[in-house]
Amino acid sequence: MTRVVSDLNAMVAGQGGDGSLTVVTLVGNLLAGRGFHLYSTRDVASRIKGGPAAALLRGSIAPRTGIGDTLDVFVAFDTEAIELSGHRVAGNGFVVYDSSGGPLPPGYLGDGVTVVEIPFGRLAVGDLRRELYKNSLAFGVVSRILTFSDTEAASVLEARFSLRPDLVEANLQALAEGFIFADDHGFTHNAGPLRLTDTGHSERILISGNHAAALGCLVAGVRFFAGYPITPATEVLEFMTRHISTYGGVAIQAEDELAAVNMALGASLAGVRSLVATSGPGISLMQEGIGHAGATELPLVIIDAQRAGPSTGMPTKSEQSDIGMLVHGGNGDFPRIVLAPGNPTDAFELAVTATNLAQQIQGPVYLMLDQAVSQDSTTVPPFNVSNIEINHGHRLTQEQLDTLNEYRRYAITNDGPSPLAVPGMAGGMGLVTGNEHDEWGKVSTDPTNRVAMMDKRARKIETVAESLPKGHRFGDPSAPIGILGIGMESGVMQEAVEQLAATGLPIAGLQPRTIWPVPHETLAFLTSKERVYVIEHNHEGQLAQILASVRQDCATVTSILKYDGVPFTPRELAARIAEKETAT
Amino acid sequence: MTATYRPAEPIWCAGCGHFGVEAALTTALADLDIPKQETLILAGIGCSGTIQNNMGTYGYHALHGRVLPTATGSWEANPALTVIAAGGDGDGYAIGMGHLIHTFRRNPSITYIVMNNGIYGLTKGQNSPTRQGTPTLDAVLLGLSVLETTFIARGFTRAPDQLRRLTTAALTHTRQGRGFAFLEVLSPCVTYNDTYPRWETEHIDLDTDDTYNPTDRTSAFATVVKLETEGRIPIGTIYHNPTAEPGTFPNPATANIDPATNADTYTDIIDQYRI
Repeated sequence: MTRVVSDLNAMVAGQGGDGSLTVVTLVGNLLAGRGFHLYSTRDVASRIKGGPAAALLRGSIAPRTGIGDTLDVFVAFDTEAIELSGHRVAGNGFVVYDSSGGPLPPGYLGDGVTVVEIPFGRLAVGDLRRELYKNSLAFGVVSRILTFSDTEAASVLEARFSLRPDLVEANLQALAEGFIFADDHGFTHNAGPLRLTDTGHSERILISGNHAAALGCLVAGVRFFAGYPITPATEVLEFMTRHISTYGGVAIQAEDELAAVNMALGASLAGVRSLVATSGPGISLMQEGIGHAGATELPLVIIDAQRAGPSTGMPTKSEQSDIGMLVHGGNGDFPRIVLAPGNPTDAFELAVTATNLAQQIQGPVYLMLDQAVSQDSTTVPPFNVSNIEINHGHRLTQEQLDTLNEYRRYAITNDGPSPLAVPGMAGGMGLVTGNEHDEWGKVSTDPTNRVAMMDKRARKIETVAESLPKGHRFGDPSAPIGILGIGMESGVMQEAVEQLAATGLPIAGLQPRTIWPVPHETLAFLTSKERVYVIEHNHEGQLAQILASVRQDCATVTSILKYDGVPFTPRELAARIAEKETAT
Repeated sequence: MTATYRPAEPIWCAGCGHFGVEAALTTALADLDIPKQETLILAGIGCSGTIQNNMGTYGYHALHGRVLPTATGSWEANPALTVIAAGGDGDGYAIGMGHLIHTFRRNPSITYIVMNNGIYGLTKGQNSPTRQGTPTLDAVLLGLSVLETTFIARGFTRAPDQLRRLTTAALTHTRQGRGFAFLEVLSPCVTYNDTYPRWETEHIDLDTDDTYNPTDRTSAFATVVKLETEGRIPIGTIYHNPTAEPGTFPNPATANIDPATNADTYTDIIDQYRI
């Protein structure tokens, strides 16, 4: 009997280097062909090869940014995979187990789970002379379980290896062997146990937050990038290295993060839109430079792909524990803006906004991601580049500068930023310094000047505050209970709210996209609810603390925290909320 | 003409070597007829880190030790500028040493003038990595050991004509896009480490030695090691790579950032993610 599915969760797990990602990519291509939205993530150790590694895929007719509660299909390449993740398989799920290393370990799977045991690895080595072909064998079985035609599976495989024609034939042979094993287990052609709802094809791209953010910065005119390799931000460095020179820009792999941020400051000084990207440890090293951007009033965009800290922490695991550092870090008081996307569309849009905002406030703007938002891939509508606007802020043209009787780099203005000339412009010579300075840029400790300069810099934020990006709402807006979270919590919060609504507990949701300054919208949300659950991946409730710091009567805020490096599942989050509600 | 800041008066003590460095730089910029608006002087932290205030050009006061990456970024962003980094031995050889090695390696066409006085003057006389009588390092030898280097010189503020010549040669080297010009200047601190008498006797001018070949890296290295082992400080053009060709560089400062005219190729990138 065939079960029709509209939300499919699949996982392929083995050892790093097994090629788990390949199978997931192939299945993803099959699902995308049927118009399914995709979300894919990896669960890996910080090493090139070896260690337990898994790739997960969700295909659904509703857009989702998170893996579901249970797995419908699980391909396990070794016993360890079963031991680690067998409990996640749905009661009516399917397990395709590679028995090359031994029989299925008992006790990890539910009674209703259908198990297919095939020694893929041994067969691949024996018949095809290459162990990696086990992926195509397994893909053949999975495509039959999902009732895709053999032709569809073969064409997806051929497309995958279009750049390696030498590998196509052997992989097709492996796929054909997979079909034979499927036949042996009763998964005959076009008559598998699962079948996808057909939703019709839609125009979509599959992209990660890192790539989307890098693309947004490029489109908004970033022409200088400096970075240092660090998980999980390295994709931004790779993207910029690959694309920026096409547009007359420069990307530099610096000797460390200290050099990277100062190179970007130097490029910004020369009038070029500049970007750095790193993770928490790199932000720690860049703190002095970011404060310097604040004091010298140089535009700078900083992408932080947060990972589990403190110190080196867990480089491949997601966390949201840099929030306090971004909002308050650095010596002294200086204005900064922190934006936080929750999916690739957000990442693209907020990257454009951040790049313009840096020019408008002539200072540092953070784009705060977390590992999940940074590295997980999601299908979204293709980005629209026809309506991008470039905001030059107070940057002067030579013609404008020529009309001025005098130019003061740090002229006191009503709105904060000063008119800006850059090296090469006649008559715009100025002194730029991180020492407190007068309007000309000369070092000054005069108390009156000091206060005027601090206030001038602070005004820059007040001026743009009302125009900062609004958040996303979900759930029941009239509900007395609220839920608030950012980044990786965005998708899972929405699903948990749907689950709780089905149990009769309506909740109003807000995913703020401007974190600092705390926007009026966030404060109004907190004020309008009887109680608000703030969902975070950290130990100290950093976001809740920041909210409390700007709104003293925050007694109704309850933190729900997780810091084990693993994202919430919707069911898990719903249970945590239900538990708190019961105790209320 | 738009009026801008009035150059500052130097803050240095009477007799400070840095006056000589400023004089050489001012003269060299004038001799080469480099417009002030196209000149960017970036300075580190310390007494030497105020030189940019006195020049009337675009000036930048970098974080302590970070003048080289900042200057590299400015030059990469607009290689049409004449980019000059300046600082002291504490700034360049202690907190900033990691960047010096990589700037030698990366070879951007910027001039770096290090005013070496062996101490931290602004904080009242602590030892720097070049303080004689303590374990020291030598940036000239370091530069010679990096095979990418193209221009290494050392001047002495008591030899002002040569210092002006070396400064001019360094600026010419970078303005032609031939690579990084490293110029260390023996610039004594008369208040906390008056090395004038000592350096008068210890310095030895390689420019006047007809047997010295500054285009031969190997013999340059051997000569500097030998002289410094003997307690002498070689000055002059230490190494100059005559085969360093003028480069051509992208200029991000003039890049087209208009979204409309770039829309087609931006869309091409986006299309690579289609599924």
